[in-house]
Amino acid sequence: MMSTYETLTGLVERFSPTHYEAEAVAWLVGRMLSLGFASARTDEAGNAVGTIGEGPNQIVLLGHIDTVPGKIPVRVENGILHGRGAVDAKGPLAAFVDAAAQTGLVPGWQIVVIGAVDEEGDSAGAWHAAARYHPRYAIIGEPSGWNRIALGYRGIVRFRFQARQTIGHSAAGRDSVCEMAVDFWNRLVEFCARENRAAERKFDQLTPVLQEMHSAGDGFVEKGEMSGNVRLPQRIAPERIKDVLREAAAGIGTVETEGIPLNAFRVEKSTPVVGSLLSGIRSLGGDPSFSLKLGTSDLSIVGPAWNCPMAVYGPGDSTFDHTPGECISLEEYGKAAAVLVGVLKRLTAAVR
Amino acid sequence: MKGMCPECEGEVTIPEDAQSGEILVCPDCGIELELTSLDPIQLSLAPKEAEDWGE
Repeated sequence: MMSTYETLTGLVERFSPTHYEAEAVAWLVGRMLSLGFASARTDEAGNAVGTIGEGPNQIVLLGHIDTVPGKIPVRVENGILHGRGAVDAKGPLAAFVDAAAQTGLVPGWQIVVIGAVDEEGDSAGAWHAAARYHPRYAIIGEPSGWNRIALGYRGIVRFRFQARQTIGHSAAGRDSVCEMAVDFWNRLVEFCARENRAAERKFDQLTPVLQEMHSAGDGFVEKGEMSGNVRLPQRIAPERIKDVLREAAAGIGTVETEGIPLNAFRVEKSTPVVGSLLSGIRSLGGDPSFSLKLGTSDLSIVGPAWNCPMAVYGPGDSTFDHTPGECISLEEYGKAAAVLVGVLKRLTAAVR
Repeated sequence: MKGMCPECEGEVTIPEDAQSGEILVCPDCGIELELTSLDPIQLSLAPKEAEDWGE
């Protein structure tokens, strides 16, 4: 089992909210070189990339190095590391680095560890990596828990609705822009409810989320705005939701999508990657389980591009994601790193 | 190699190159199984899929 937590604590100590990852990236590049990676660099997207070995077979371990905002004082108390990003997702990324370093050089294989930027934004780091690597196997780093394997994530479409009209007297009997925005929202919610009737699991359901709404006027024109997102199941593509949003806005306003819409994605279970993780968890006395995540991750970007056996794995309790109490158990971190060492050794032993 | 489905006691063929942790499907009842041991052959019900709101 790993006996050092320097990679983890060093990463968490370097606060790196989205768009401000450079210091953490530079530190991780140096850390990977000090651990014996053959090369480590900052790539064109700003990702930290370390490699061990050369060969026709490649394993990519992709985690993200950015975090949500909100600095949390970094400290260790009773075996728990507190700090922004400890669980989402510097814990999984650091475990990748430590596990790859401990696995070391394997003839015929290249192990690539990527600390991707912008995952909490538009995933610029993952889009860059998706187009540049062609791994035989891949593991995506998110906090599944040391004894759990995440198999899939839902997709997402983000939207912004706007209604405008000339200001009239409120007693005139016409809808205000606020009421028009509520109409748009109700149409969207009704569509989602109809689509969800036959879907028992939330993973298979559409979930509309209203994040922000406000209105303003300048004495002549009043404007109402609403923004939010819709989480998508596998059976519904982003293009369908774009149509639904346009239909919901018809006659009352305009709607635009924001960012890059993502499809839901789930991995195959009967693969060497999932099998190695199951076996590795059991070898440490764990009782493995699978999870389907209701959020969205870089898996939806690299999954379709790489089209190889993969899984999502990493230490940490995802209920702490994005919370002021973000923390990770050092014991759990050590177990996950040990599982990953076993997984890398088994995957690279099977094919030479 | 052969194993027995713990759900329906049907016979399950284990591929020669199978490794522990491999997920197989019982040809009789269709349930997913995990090959938890190769020597001796041991099949268990595959882990269930739970939902989790996080990333």
